[in-house]
Amino acid sequence: MEKIKSPLGRVLIHAVLILFAVYSFIPFFWTTLQSFKTLKDANSRTPIFFFTPTWENYQQLWLRSVPENGALIAYFLLAAVVILICLLLFANYIPVRSSLIYAFVALGFAAILWGIPRLVDTAKFYDYFINTIIVTVGTVIVSISIGCLAGYSLARYAGYAGVVILIAALGFRALPRLAFILPYYWIGTATNLLDTHILVILTLVAVNQPFTIWMLRSFFMDIPRELEESAMVDGCNRLTAFYRIIIPIMWPGIISTALFTLLLAYNEFLLVRLLTQTNWTLPVAISRFTGGEDPRHLTLAAAASISATIPIVLVILFFQKNLVKGLAAGAVKG
Amino acid sequence: MTRGAFYRFAAPSIIVMILLMVIPLLMAIWLGMNYMTYTNISAPQFIALRNYIEVLQDARFWQSFRFTALYAAIVVPAQLIVGFTIALFLDQVSRFTRGIYLSIFLLPFIIVPVVGTLMFKQLFEPSGLITWLYQTILDTRFRYNEITVKALIIIHGVWYVTPFALVTYFAGLQTLSQDLLEAASMDGATRWQKIRHIVLPHVRSLTIFILLISIMDAYRIFDSVFILSQMNPIYKANTIMTYTFQTAVTVQRLGKANAMAILTVIGIMIVLIPNLIQSYKEQMEER
Repeated sequence: MEKIKSPLGRVLIHAVLILFAVYSFIPFFWTTLQSFKTLKDANSRTPIFFFTPTWENYQQLWLRSVPENGALIAYFLLAAVVILICLLLFANYIPVRSSLIYAFVALGFAAILWGIPRLVDTAKFYDYFINTIIVTVGTVIVSISIGCLAGYSLARYAGYAGVVILIAALGFRALPRLAFILPYYWIGTATNLLDTHILVILTLVAVNQPFTIWMLRSFFMDIPRELEESAMVDGCNRLTAFYRIIIPIMWPGIISTALFTLLLAYNEFLLVRLLTQTNWTLPVAISRFTGGEDPRHLTLAAAASISATIPIVLVILFFQKNLVKGLAAGAVKG
Repeated sequence: MTRGAFYRFAAPSIIVMILLMVIPLLMAIWLGMNYMTYTNISAPQFIALRNYIEVLQDARFWQSFRFTALYAAIVVPAQLIVGFTIALFLDQVSRFTRGIYLSIFLLPFIIVPVVGTLMFKQLFEPSGLITWLYQTILDTRFRYNEITVKALIIIHGVWYVTPFALVTYFAGLQTLSQDLLEAASMDGATRWQKIRHIVLPHVRSLTIFILLISIMDAYRIFDSVFILSQMNPIYKANTIMTYTFQTAVTVQRLGKANAMAILTVIGIMIVLIPNLIQSYKEQMEER
């Protein structure tokens, strides 16, 4: 549509948008404030906007006891993280194969996460955070690798079976998860498999597979067949043509899909709530802060909410283009 | 691609889906035909269709069905109207500003639903910001009761899902034919006429897409209800999903819960099948 040009119109447009932004943002704003208040300030019946911020809630959430040389450890960890992120950002300018650098960065982050509880006395919340990372990363890796193979073959195969699988997947995607989870729950209870990461990852992969193959297939459809056909004439078989020729140009599509899978796994509540007893991920751990007798639940819930949100906001800022592209692709292609 | 190659590539995914989706679904049908609690979990007692009949005669099941329907009846249209309106406004601003607005607008939708609900709830705690505004303006205490909890769940639903409609409509507006709009301007069409006769027909298929997805999502709403009602029966705010969960976990009637889940699946299938047939035809033509 052509733009409204009158100054009054422009002001009104921005007024509406700003109002909607406030409406979208106000819970985040308020929770952030609450998370930095002392218990007394947070429970005040008239809202307090000006106060001396305290880290106490975050400290209680993440640490069992405060280490003496806490500041030193914090600076050390921060430096390590910054170095790793810089490596990631400038990987293309370093004269080493970038896959090696990515592997090194991944190992570095794993080492940091492994090292933290050995340096400081972390609380249960840290364990839930680690569980979440294991479940999320595991789900993304398994789901995307088998999903890529299936998505690619569904984009290239013209037979009847392909259509049947796609339509069945569409149907399964619409069904309530509880219909699958209750049998898992029964199997888990009967076989004592409950509370393991493997069960959670496999079931998350399964329930997200319909979405994954549809999305990856739509990206593979955009890649011309001639590409792998010429490679196969040159002597590649289909599998080598697939990972030498197709996968390298598919990265943007794979990242978009991986991002949605990551969000789905990170966000999952019902499935994890039923299939775990102590090895919770963050959504289940955080849901425990609601209600209850402990008066600290208000500020701790706020600190936990903000803590669980920051990693996701960082990931999204990093991959914002892929996210919007994926949302748009899902919408336009159905 | 040959048939053999297709099956080799798709095999891992198909196996996972058969083992962890098709078989569990069949199992749920069978589990629904058994009387089963945690005491006889390894030796369930076969009672044929009695669980299914019990569910259909259960007043609390229909109560949660009614609340789910009410939720959908308010949240779905509100999401479409607000999403479309804001998308039109967003289309008016420059590319850079729109990026900033969009990332703020998307926050409620991107965030972990449980966390989003908890943040939303913080506003309505006794010490919350909105509680304070409510009490200052209306001069009555804000209490958690059946009506306010239900209202909170619905208001949160609108807050949470609107960004999805907004982004979808916004993407749709970007593919609008400029020629058509110019031609309309030549003929002296007003802005309102252009929206009515060009934009709305253009986004019709998107509206059906959002409608379908959001009805499905409303049907299986769980996380926000779990947090906001704290599964407290006095609020009578159960949805189908939370009631099924309660039957399985709190009441410990696993068989009945499975029967309930299967009845929900049948309900969804009735809505879904025309759409599946439609997609089937499209895919058959496309291949």
